[in-house]
Amino acid sequence: MTAPATAVRNEKSQAQVELCSVRVGKTMFGVPIGHILEIVGSARPQPVPLAPDYVGGLVHYRGDVLTTVSLRQLLGLPPCEGAQDILVLESQGGCFGLLVDSVGEVLTVSPADFEPNPSILDRRHSALLAGAYKLKDHLLVMLDPERLDPMRLAQEMAER
Amino acid sequence: MDELTREFLIESQEGLDRMERCLTDLETRPQDAALLGEIFRSVHTIKGTTGFLGFKRLEKLAHRGENLLGLLRDGKVAASRGVITGLLHLLDGLRVILKFIEADGCEGTGDDVALIEELEVLHAPAGDAERVSIPASGPPVLQNGPSPSTGLKPAPAPAAPSSASPVTAAESSAPSAGPQIVPDLAAEQCAAGVPAASDAGKPRTQAGASTAESTLRVDVTLLNRMMNLVGELVLTRNQVLQATAADPKMTLLSRRLDMVTADLRESVMKARMQPVSNIFSKMPRMVRDLSQSLGRRVHLEMEGQETELDKSLLEAIKDPLTHALRNALDHGIEPPEDRKAAGKNPEGLLKLRAVQEGSHVVIEVSDDGAGIAVEKVRDKAIERGLITPDRAALLGERELLQLIFLPGFSTAARVTNVSGRGVGMDVVRTNVEKIGGKVELDSRAGKGTTVRMRIPLTLAIIPALIVRSLNQSFALPQGSLSELVHIPPERAGTAIEWIESAPLYRLRGRLLPLVFLSRLLDPSRACHLAPDRDNFIAVLDADGRRFGLVVDGLADPEEIVVKPLSAVLKDIGLYSGATMLGSADLALILDPGSIALKANITMNSEEEGAAQVEESDEAAKAEFLLVEVSGRRAAVPLADVLRIEQLPLSRIEYIGYRPVLNFEGHLLPVEDSGGILAPAAEVQSVPSGTDCAQIIVVVCRDGGRHVGIVVSHVLDVAAGTDLFEAGTGTQAGGVTMLKNRVTGVVDLGGVAPLVQGEPAHEAWAQSAEVMA
Repeated sequence: MTAPATAVRNEKSQAQVELCSVRVGKTMFGVPIGHILEIVGSARPQPVPLAPDYVGGLVHYRGDVLTTVSLRQLLGLPPCEGAQDILVLESQGGCFGLLVDSVGEVLTVSPADFEPNPSILDRRHSALLAGAYKLKDHLLVMLDPERLDPMRLAQEMAER
Repeated sequence: MDELTREFLIESQEGLDRMERCLTDLETRPQDAALLGEIFRSVHTIKGTTGFLGFKRLEKLAHRGENLLGLLRDGKVAASRGVITGLLHLLDGLRVILKFIEADGCEGTGDDVALIEELEVLHAPAGDAERVSIPASGPPVLQNGPSPSTGLKPAPAPAAPSSASPVTAAESSAPSAGPQIVPDLAAEQCAAGVPAASDAGKPRTQAGASTAESTLRVDVTLLNRMMNLVGELVLTRNQVLQATAADPKMTLLSRRLDMVTADLRESVMKARMQPVSNIFSKMPRMVRDLSQSLGRRVHLEMEGQETELDKSLLEAIKDPLTHALRNALDHGIEPPEDRKAAGKNPEGLLKLRAVQEGSHVVIEVSDDGAGIAVEKVRDKAIERGLITPDRAALLGERELLQLIFLPGFSTAARVTNVSGRGVGMDVVRTNVEKIGGKVELDSRAGKGTTVRMRIPLTLAIIPALIVRSLNQSFALPQGSLSELVHIPPERAGTAIEWIESAPLYRLRGRLLPLVFLSRLLDPSRACHLAPDRDNFIAVLDADGRRFGLVVDGLADPEEIVVKPLSAVLKDIGLYSGATMLGSADLALILDPGSIALKANITMNSEEEGAAQVEESDEAAKAEFLLVEVSGRRAAVPLADVLRIEQLPLSRIEYIGYRPVLNFEGHLLPVEDSGGILAPAAEVQSVPSGTDCAQIIVVVCRDGGRHVGIVVSHVLDVAAGTDLFEAGTGTQAGGVTMLKNRVTGVVDLGGVAPLVQGEPAHEAWAQSAEVMA
């Protein structure tokens, strides 16, 4: 279990955690704000023929060309019509964009509310998700940018 | 590391580079006092500054060198081969220590053991060498000695009379005494007219005062950043130009932006340019060492040293160039006896030449050696299974030579050491192609071999044709595009011929394998030409593999800024990068080489392609572009035609009465002898909505400049026949026989340069008149 959320809990259990909430399909996901470089609204990535399925396309970002990962595709949801928002994330492999339906607000959660992935979660999803926070009326499912890095996804695909 | 030390390192390295150049020159001109002075100054500067900075060991070594150089300069020692070799080794020694300083920042800390060892090796054998030196003084056996040190010390002894030897001996027997002795010598040198040793910087500053004040050292990373930013600016400019094209109020502003951007781009690119002499200067030393160890006698000639190339490209061609030179020495130039036997000058000639040709720099390595034995190449290739004997029998000499570049070929040659040539030629090719260049090989048995590398001037911004497929834009680098074939809708059904599942197009009587881009990118697509619209085939030449890429549509060519792709997308193996278009869309840059590989365009077609390229090259000399100018026919030499542009009349601007065209950021004088522009402008002035009159401009090369010629129509490409005047038999200039009609050839030189600002199309008009 290497989720940043856990790490935070281990270090200072009472410290509050700041998360950016994003929506994909009907689910709310949380991304630790420390990993977010920028949020690009309503982008239309340029598709890349013959690219792996999870690649959402290319976008122009500050003079560079950024590869995006489609969270919808990773979760097995049908592709989204229209513009999507992009979280520009920083991982060890460099920068990449995460395509989500919409970006919500920044939430402050307490590490005490964190739960790891349940054991009944299928393998595909448990590889992507990093536990969840129990909010008042719903769950905020955690995403770990390192696990969504296109390079890492490519490796996983190759191993499968 | 502090600023002072860094500066010292850079200066010293430059000094040593200069010294190396001078040393190899010295070999041919041993009496040249200016050269000796230059070498002396390099070492002297290092010595002085090291003392100042406290690098004791470096100082000691430099002292020794200065000592010897002083004797040389005073004429007490002659600049024999041995001495020069010794000095070259001193140079190596100094470089090693400088590297240490560069790595550790300080001479005495860190991994000091190796350094001391290096120095002790340099010190110790002096005494022994004294004894050895006399037998060793003659032939250049010394250079091949196992350690550099043996070369260093004996050098002064043979040539130096009694006065020099004791100093060397004293130094070696009692290293501590060295510094005391040498200052005396240094003082002596000062008296002899060399600037004071205490102020090391002085002599150099004096020498290069004029340049030093007007130049500035700039960090390469900063230059790279500037280049990136300029790339951004070019993209933004493209977008602004497209967005404001319709708005007359913005035209002036956007034109200005266009010009400034082009200028800025050129300046930044220029700032990154370095003369090829930066790497050429390393070659004499290498050639010298290598020719001695190989027992060859070689004269190296270098030409075009001032030719400039982007710094990153310069770095990239260093290895291929070294490789090519090595090949020339090792396999090209024969040993002196063989040369004598063959009736050649025992001294081989090795030529290194750089010249700029358009947007490329051509670097040539040629030797007058044995050449490549084509039969050996063929046998080797057959033996390695790279080609079938039947196939080989069909190949011409030139095609067979190209086999040398195949990866399997070179490995075989290296392992068995049988082949006449070709060690690592695939490495040369791979490296050069990596930076978008091309390698050609020419060889004649017994006469010599030429390796020609064509390197693009810059990497970051390249001209590209934008093509459409799957409703997306893709960029196709112009470098590999040889021509475009237009297939109108009515021919769509018949244009393509099939051998089973392989689509082929008959291009000037030869079958061209076709690749459908849409099918390549989306395997669910079918291979056929759309019957309801125009189809285009881009004829590509990727590393000699020639094929046609069928695209759905064409857009304008653009200058694109290459952006790298993430590893995941690079692994697809079709795209070499991505770019932003003027329309603000992203476009993937197609890699013709990978497409050829992916589509299985194999060796067979490669050779056919090579043959065809060769043929067309030869034919191009006599081919003309047939154009019509206001009802008259005229011919433009095809080799001079860069591009045929159809553009809106509004793109033509005027300097006084002179029409000019801003073409890719460069101003072209436009020749309008047919008076096409004026009536077109009248049509234009009639407010007919946004419909803009289109004109056709043939952009031609005339020597170093480009000119545009306005024509009514482009008719055809045809081979011309020279005409001879009846009776005299002299060749008629300015006219040619095209399609059985005498046609005037456009005199490109007659187009007045812009600076004169005076229209002078008489010459052209005359030549066009002839065919009437």
